[in-house]
Amino acid sequence: MTTVYLVDDHRLFLAGVRSEIEGAVEIVGSASDVDDAIEGIRDAKPEVVLVDVHMPGGGGLTVIENVIETNPDVRFLALSVSDAAEDVIAMIRAGARGYVTKSITPEELIEAIGRVQAGDAVFSPRLAGFVLDAFADTMSAPVDPELDQLTPREREVLRQIARGYSYKQVARRLSISVKTVETHVSAVLRKLQLSNRHELARWASHRRIV
Amino acid sequence: MVYVRAAFITLGFVWGLGVILYAAAWASTIDLPSVEEAGVGPARPAGRTTHLGAGMILLAGLIMVRAVGIWPGDGLFWPASAIVFGSAFLLDQRGIDSRDFLASLVDPGDSSMRRRSIVGVVLLVAGLAIFGSSAVPQLGTTLLAVVITGVGLSVLFGPWIWRLANDLGAERSERVRQEERAEMAAHLHDSVLQTLALIQRTDDPKRMLTLARHQERELRRWLYDRAPEAGTRSLSVLLQSTVDRLEADFDIPIDLVVAGGELEGDLVGPLVSATGEAIANAAKHSGAAKVSVYAEVSVDSVDVWVADQGKGFDTATIGADRRGIADSIIGRMRRHGGSAIITSEPGEGTEIHLHFERERSL
Repeated sequence: MTTVYLVDDHRLFLAGVRSEIEGAVEIVGSASDVDDAIEGIRDAKPEVVLVDVHMPGGGGLTVIENVIETNPDVRFLALSVSDAAEDVIAMIRAGARGYVTKSITPEELIEAIGRVQAGDAVFSPRLAGFVLDAFADTMSAPVDPELDQLTPREREVLRQIARGYSYKQVARRLSISVKTVETHVSAVLRKLQLSNRHELARWASHRRIV
Repeated sequence: MVYVRAAFITLGFVWGLGVILYAAAWASTIDLPSVEEAGVGPARPAGRTTHLGAGMILLAGLIMVRAVGIWPGDGLFWPASAIVFGSAFLLDQRGIDSRDFLASLVDPGDSSMRRRSIVGVVLLVAGLAIFGSSAVPQLGTTLLAVVITGVGLSVLFGPWIWRLANDLGAERSERVRQEERAEMAAHLHDSVLQTLALIQRTDDPKRMLTLARHQERELRRWLYDRAPEAGTRSLSVLLQSTVDRLEADFDIPIDLVVAGGELEGDLVGPLVSATGEAIANAAKHSGAAKVSVYAEVSVDSVDVWVADQGKGFDTATIGADRRGIADSIIGRMRRHGGSAIITSEPGEGTEIHLHFERERSL
């Protein structure tokens, strides 16, 4: 079973998630503030950490940055109420392998944890929207075309995800395999993390998402 | 600091010597607080002897200047310096609350402050009295008394009144904060607490979910003030309010994602209406647990997809009631130069794609 660590400053929510996914995954610990989380994750060495974006004392970003320094093989999935684009993109750039909103169903969450554990990327409709927005056509010429642009196929896959379809449905609708969908979103994740187009930072700071 | 200034002012009576020195010190960026640290500061417990030393140096300097001959006369200088230092003693109230200032004059507990205040008052009164009697005898005694009393009172009570006014300002801002808190409490009562009460009285989990989502949206908007100014007619804003309304009307979660630029102008109205009808259609007929809406504005087109994963239907044999809704969506889009494509199959859910070409000039 996948070992999972939970980080959220809302204890009620922590308890709720725990009861929903316990049994399908092995929960090896939980923390409700940044410092406890960093220490606890280093001790427990889980495969996947579910981490809240907004927390007092630096938020999920601080947790990811500190843990990845010492334990680069721990994988993070950001889990939060609908947040501002810049915070979510910062989490992804720090190393989170995906972002889902807290309204996700338990089944979807368990599937997402499995996906992150396997090294794939998890794109919720909202994250797909953020990314399409960040890599919009209207921006000026890219510095590094390899990293600073999405391929038409990647764009199409993200649009399908933004429209609410699961990876499996996207695969069927585009007549490709689920593995290919995963390859595309992992490539997008990599671009999001490595792209140094300055527009990405500028976009993130100016964007006021609905 | 205040004593250093007082020393300079005193020297200022010596034909402006102090002013020149002060300006020189300032210009050569001699750090005055460091002068204080070197021994003039009265707040340091160990500084008694250094105070004495500094006083002696000042006195020696004065006597020297007097011997050289640049001297305004004893009758003017000594009372003037008494006034200046008296004021300095009174103005020096570091770390002491203004309300304690007067109390310190009578409070036996605070001896250092009392001593400072008493010495200050004595020096001030003595200086003013000598001035009054000797330096300017030609002035009318009454006028002089009034001026002296006025100066004395303002020096005595000025700082106190000034601080009192400051405290009043602080109290006023505290009151403003309290009003803000009261307003917040009122808002939470009207919205969040009411919703929580409603949720507790509801047995239907779906209704609970809708109430919670609706309340969450409203609270978030209120807290982060994302609400646009009245009159904003942009696509994302109008879509959000439509989604909020329909979510409440149909008790169904609606996920809205908007990407790309912002759209304003003639196309927004029909696009938002058509989206609303598509959502309502999905909420009423699909039986799906949620509806997904994705809007994308690019340079040359605007697209909205409304998708559900409900039971779907055969687009060739749709019933008359749904035909009407489909026509009204398609008809509305066509009338404004756009298109609507409905894709659905039984068991596969339904997707309605609304599309407008944009003119480059827009």
